Amino acid sequence: MPEYSDIELVELFRNDDKKHYAFNLLVRKYREKVYYFVRRMVIDHDDSDDVVQNIFIKVWNNLESFREDSKLFTWLYRIAVNESLSFLKSKQLRSYLSLSSPEAMMVKSLRDDPYFDGQEIQKRLREAIIRLPKKQQLVFNMRYYDDLSYDEMSEILGTSVGALKASYHFAVKKIEDFVTSN
Amino acid sequence: MKIQEKIPDQTNDIEQLSPVLKKLRQDVEAFKVPDGYFDSLSPRIIDRIQEQENRSFSKRFVLSFRKPLVWAPSIASVVVAVFLIFVIPAKKVSTLQVFDEWTEINMAYDASYAEEAVFSESITIDKELANSDINITESLTPSHKEPTADEIKAYLKEHETETDILNEY
Repeated sequence: MPEYSDIELVELFRNDDKKHYAFNLLVRKYREKVYYFVRRMVIDHDDSDDVVQNIFIKVWNNLESFREDSKLFTWLYRIAVNESLSFLKSKQLRSYLSLSSPEAMMVKSLRDDPYFDGQEIQKRLREAIIRLPKKQQLVFNMRYYDDLSYDEMSEILGTSVGALKASYHFAVKKIEDFVTSN
Repeated sequence: MKIQEKIPDQTNDIEQLSPVLKKLRQDVEAFKVPDGYFDSLSPRIIDRIQEQENRSFSKRFVLSFRKPLVWAPSIASVVVAVFLIFVIPAKKVSTLQVFDEWTEINMAYDASYAEEAVFSESITIDKELANSDINITESLTPSHKEPTADEIKAYLKEHETETDILNEY
């Protein structure tokens, strides 16, 4: 399968005859990155699957009007952030009806997850991340797992580099404390 | 001193920030997916997009019919068409005469129908005669007397006919 640049993919998508083909290539190119980003935020595989599908449907609906003054990957990542946060917000609203908090439900989901293949310490690390405030979770995941630069994160989240550094710093310290506490 | 200034440069900050987390960083993702998940993702998304597009088309169609300006002329034209196709031809059939070109065609294979048509025609003629000045009884009744035997003989003699021939009968 040919490897297209992001700009070529967008141009291909704007051609009606090749729209489906271009979209397929785009999904193939970014599916893993998008999926794992979402999965680290929402934990459950089925929930992640729903969110990932919604992200790519949004891409399909809006790619034609995508302005090339930002990178496609940055734009895609921004959609992923918004969709993940919306999902978590709706989950939080639903959790008002139940007795347990959304964090507790996510920790339970992580512990029972048949699709988690890591040592106990890895589970503990993920648990520590779940307990962080949402903004710190985002920053930590983007930096620690996805290796994004602060500049890229700043473009995606619309936050200053200094604020992101501070968020990351606090997140790392909280996680370290949680992991080493037992 | 602000907290941001204390934070080291972004290049290898995790090593300086937390050696513990540096150790825990794995190359292999701990979250797994069901077999074939990524291969089936794209077709499933395409299916959902098509479903969404079909739904939005039918929604637009239904919404357009909520506007009277769209459906009122359509319904009016259907009513007019039904009237033209069914109601007007039905009225014409009821005023058809019994004896027309279709009756003639039918007479070729249906004797009873032909008799009925002839009967109907004779009634029509009778009615027409009744309304006219013609006296059919008079025209059919002979106005002269029956000739006598002598008159016949005289007539035959005049025309040189053998009178004996008459005696044979």
